[in-house]
Amino acid sequence: MSIFLVLEERSGRVSKASWEALAAALKLGAAQDVTAVAIGAQTEALAAEAAAKNVGKVVRVEHPLLARYSADGFLLALEQVVRREEPKCVVFPHSYQVRDYAPALACRMGQVLIGDVIAIDEGPIFTRQLLQGRLTGTYRHRGDGPCFVSVQAGAFRTDSNALERQGGAAAIERFTPEIDAAQIRTKPGEPFREAAQTVDLGSAQRIVGVGRGIKEQENLKLVEALAETLGAELAASRPICDNGWLPMERQVGSSGQTVAPKLYLAVGISGAIQHLVGMKGSQCIVAINKDPDAPIFEVADYGIVGDLFEVIPAVTEAVKAAK
Amino acid sequence: MKIVVAIKQVPDRDAPVRIAPDARWIEERDLQWAMNEPDAYALEEALQLKERYGGEVVVLSAGPERVGSTIREALAKGADRAIHVVCDDLNARDALGAAKLLAAAIKPENPDLVLTGLQSEDVGLGQTGVIVAELLGLPHATLILHVDKTDAGLKVKRELEEGWFQEIELPLPAVLTIQSGGNKLRYATLMGIKKAKTKELRSINAAELGSDSAPVVALEKIAAPKKQKTTQILSGSAKEAATTLVEKLKTEARVL
Amino acid sequence: MIHLLPTFAEPRHFAPGEKLLFAALAAGSFYAFWRRFGPILGKILHSKKDAGFHLAPIGRRVGDFVWEVMLQAKVIRERPAAGIAHALVFWAFCAFALVTLNHCAAVFGLGFLDPAGRLGRIYFYFAAAFALACAVAIAGLFVRRFVARPKWLGEVSPESGWIAFLIFALMASYLAAFFVRGDETAVRVLWWAHTLTLLIFLPLLPHTKHLHLLLSPATVFLSRGSFAQIPPLADDEDFGLVAGKDLTQLASLQAYSCVECGRCTEHCPAANTDKLLNPKSVVLGVRAYLNEYGPASEEPLLGKFNAQEAVFQCTTCGACEFQCPVGIEHVPIIVGLRRGAVNTGEWEDTYGAKLFLALERGSNALGMSATERDKFVEKNALPIFDGTQEYCLWLGCMGGYDPRGREIVLALVEVMRHLGVSYGVLRKERCTGDPVRRLGNDLVFQQLAESNLAALSQSKTKKIVSICPHCVRTIQEDWKAYGTPPEVEHHSEFLARYASRLRLSSPQEQGTRGAHEKIVFHDPCYLGRYRDVYDEPRQVARLAGELVEAPRSRERSFCCGAGGGLAFLGEEKGERVSQVRAAELAGTGAGIVAAACPFCNTMFRDALTQVSESRHGAQAPELLDIAQIAARGLAESRKS
Repeated sequence: MSIFLVLEERSGRVSKASWEALAAALKLGAAQDVTAVAIGAQTEALAAEAAAKNVGKVVRVEHPLLARYSADGFLLALEQVVRREEPKCVVFPHSYQVRDYAPALACRMGQVLIGDVIAIDEGPIFTRQLLQGRLTGTYRHRGDGPCFVSVQAGAFRTDSNALERQGGAAAIERFTPEIDAAQIRTKPGEPFREAAQTVDLGSAQRIVGVGRGIKEQENLKLVEALAETLGAELAASRPICDNGWLPMERQVGSSGQTVAPKLYLAVGISGAIQHLVGMKGSQCIVAINKDPDAPIFEVADYGIVGDLFEVIPAVTEAVKAAK
Repeated sequence: MKIVVAIKQVPDRDAPVRIAPDARWIEERDLQWAMNEPDAYALEEALQLKERYGGEVVVLSAGPERVGSTIREALAKGADRAIHVVCDDLNARDALGAAKLLAAAIKPENPDLVLTGLQSEDVGLGQTGVIVAELLGLPHATLILHVDKTDAGLKVKRELEEGWFQEIELPLPAVLTIQSGGNKLRYATLMGIKKAKTKELRSINAAELGSDSAPVVALEKIAAPKKQKTTQILSGSAKEAATTLVEKLKTEARVL
Repeated sequence: MIHLLPTFAEPRHFAPGEKLLFAALAAGSFYAFWRRFGPILGKILHSKKDAGFHLAPIGRRVGDFVWEVMLQAKVIRERPAAGIAHALVFWAFCAFALVTLNHCAAVFGLGFLDPAGRLGRIYFYFAAAFALACAVAIAGLFVRRFVARPKWLGEVSPESGWIAFLIFALMASYLAAFFVRGDETAVRVLWWAHTLTLLIFLPLLPHTKHLHLLLSPATVFLSRGSFAQIPPLADDEDFGLVAGKDLTQLASLQAYSCVECGRCTEHCPAANTDKLLNPKSVVLGVRAYLNEYGPASEEPLLGKFNAQEAVFQCTTCGACEFQCPVGIEHVPIIVGLRRGAVNTGEWEDTYGAKLFLALERGSNALGMSATERDKFVEKNALPIFDGTQEYCLWLGCMGGYDPRGREIVLALVEVMRHLGVSYGVLRKERCTGDPVRRLGNDLVFQQLAESNLAALSQSKTKKIVSICPHCVRTIQEDWKAYGTPPEVEHHSEFLARYASRLRLSSPQEQGTRGAHEKIVFHDPCYLGRYRDVYDEPRQVARLAGELVEAPRSRERSFCCGAGGGLAFLGEEKGERVSQVRAAELAGTGAGIVAAACPFCNTMFRDALTQVSESRHGAQAPELLDIAQIAARGLAESRKS
């Protein structure tokens, strides 16, 4: 019984998350049972990439109406190929796009998607997080019909040899779904980024926050270099903005913005409550401060007690080296 | 525009999380309950749409008796009337089972628009809205931050990964799942609570809405996650600590 | 001997024509007076009744009346020179009551004070003394207002000049009558001069701020009952001061009593830092509203005469209300206006909404998870209150979640342990609701008060000690609307009781460290003016060194800027209140600034550093809560 792996495209290539989904799929069955599905209007390159990985075969689901993602289009196409091949499992990366159509696809087949899975164990038993990470729960698929699963980004490692293919490329098939233009009800526009006139710390994924510990305005360039290397936005605690060293719109805290990026690096920030309330929701907090008793360490995931004038350049170098 | 907003009552974020003896769910005894935050944003979007285009906002929620307080909160914030699907076994249903209940309650209302939050703060599946759309045969869009009405239907702003956005046009009627943070939430006021007392709150028993099928996906057990949050202080020279930090950010925290 | 002194001369008899003329003029004067005063009185009486107003205890009211009105104590104490001058004018008016009555009665032959008789003579001399003092005083006040022009009196008003002239004329015409004995014409002329001045003065009263002559004694007598008292909402339809129909009789009476002296504005932290808010303007705005729209109007109060923005710049420090010599209660008016904006959802403010939403769902005003407080309690092994300990130590939002607030709590805990006093902290606390109460959100406040009262009664708490004057005030006063709160005191009151056991060794024995450290105590608004506690924290602060006073201290203490919910709102406009006060405190040259409120502490932390930095990198004074001073003292004595 085959295992479908639905690939997702990112800038013309298969997304990293899709390979993580492959790692997950390989826990559900042998590599030769895995059918990688590339879906779109031009899937040649994607299929070739997949054929070089450790999969059984690749199916190119192509149709001109699939050039741009739409829930209706992808739903119709995948429904047809799933009904034809009757896989026992369909594995997706848990991306925004998948969240948009996979639940409906599962519903159409009388199933329910087990989404955002972080572990797959013998059974198969699927583990996912509950209550915003405070608990985990184990799920099992019951009844007949395919089991739809999506996996959380970063939960499955892609650096093992399991994904490497032995021997020549896998076979590539083509499947053309029947889709009528009238069936696609949504009209998606071109993706865009917000105009960079104002600083939008709220949507920044990485932020480097600077505080009093920086001492002088000219020392800001150290932090700016780090932020640039990290691809991060620069933010500050109130005193820095008060001094005019950074504009008020970069202030994070009770009288500034509230942010919750994936990564918040607090440099020379003591952790006074007015600042804490603005960034405590960050996924991962790193604190660099010379005072071991600074309150910021209580909310940090990682901390370095040291002279920021030494540590910051070192971190900047280390990030560059890891790229 | 007639808008139905589906909201869920979830355990308060501050609530102490204690696993029930049978490990199937948490102890609900001493919990405080609150409106699911993404649903609060959905309600806010609905109220703003009503302020701009006129119409009616109907709030809908499924769950036991206690859900009434959250429904009244929605009425106090400005919803016009409410429907409570009384259901004591919401936890035992899977996403499809829950969505079937909601879809059955929504169908007779014939709304122009159905809004719900992106996902719930307790189970966090993020699927109910999409499944409801599928069951009702309506077009949908997810992760919506902003909604505008057009002659042909709606134009919405959708969030994409990594700081990208997209505009989507779709016809009415439709279903949208709303992302948190798109609007500023309004606070509950004394005047709102007073007005809410005279608004209609209709209760329907889940049984009246049709049979429920056995769940295809079952939550078997819950447990505390293995890793707890502790602060790791990285020692060594600046260079050593920096290297360790980057390593951990890459592999452990997975934010690089 | 008494015959040698000049005698007051008045016409012996009046011709029928004169009597008629007098009657006609008097009638005209009264009519003109009533034409203006009648409607004002009507507006006041037609305003809504005050919910929860009680005349009892009448003793306190009589006491306030005697102290503030008869003895003019507030008028004199807060602005001595001008105050005494005003007092003399007032006392002269009182003394003249009988004289004026006699003056008018004499026209119809009903005079009861005989200038030749013994009693009459004494009384006329008595009045003359006051007349002289009054004439000098009013002349002095005229010079002050029109020549010296102090800032707080605002724009020069010509009407004040006319009134001053009339008063002077009254006194002068009276005094002159002592020196014209024998000259019948002069006597008659003076008499008529005095009479006309009087009859012109009367109708002018209700047209000017001198209306206070009639109203302010009543205003002082009819105050709400306690300082900065926020009245209960009358019923389901009451959302606060939304429109004219919500103005109560007290509010209207107070609006018409304003004498525009500007003492409120002079002491207002917002007005002193170039903000829109001006307490005098708020009150006069209400008066202007009543004059234009009346007390039944639906027109919003925050509109033509008062701005919403101004009203939300108030820290509720109470300096305005405290200063007011005519009994105006500014705080309930401002909070009432805020209520009108918040309870109806009119007020749209990002930070305000965030605060309200945080407390709708959560336990604290900072929006932090309650587990943070749990971790703090656990990490420091603070005992949990179980009903057996003497005190329940209330952490509050600052004590539970703010790093500095926590330091204060730990210092207090150290002292309590040393003193062997049993205490415990509650397992769960919700915010007392102070910020939302002062911002006018009655919905959230009610929820917080009720849930806290229920939890406290369940935990059998009898006595609470708290590090925060805001918590103390809210628990003791504001929660009363929803139940019976337990006894509560501020930690300065607690520590002062044990001051003798906290004393360091004498300064001589202390040697080098701290013996001659100068220390300045900042009176928190909610401890000083609100609770009348000034000495207890000083008893503790004294442990650290020599106490010096800031220029504005005790009941004149200048707010730190955090009150009224403002600590939770966004950036303030104009100069920062906290910096102005920090500069004043640092300017005393003290090495230690002692605080007794975690909000003051937070506000001064950055402000003191900034102020010192701007003074060419001078060393910032150390900022310590009195609990920390007490704890430090213990450590010291343990060392020695």
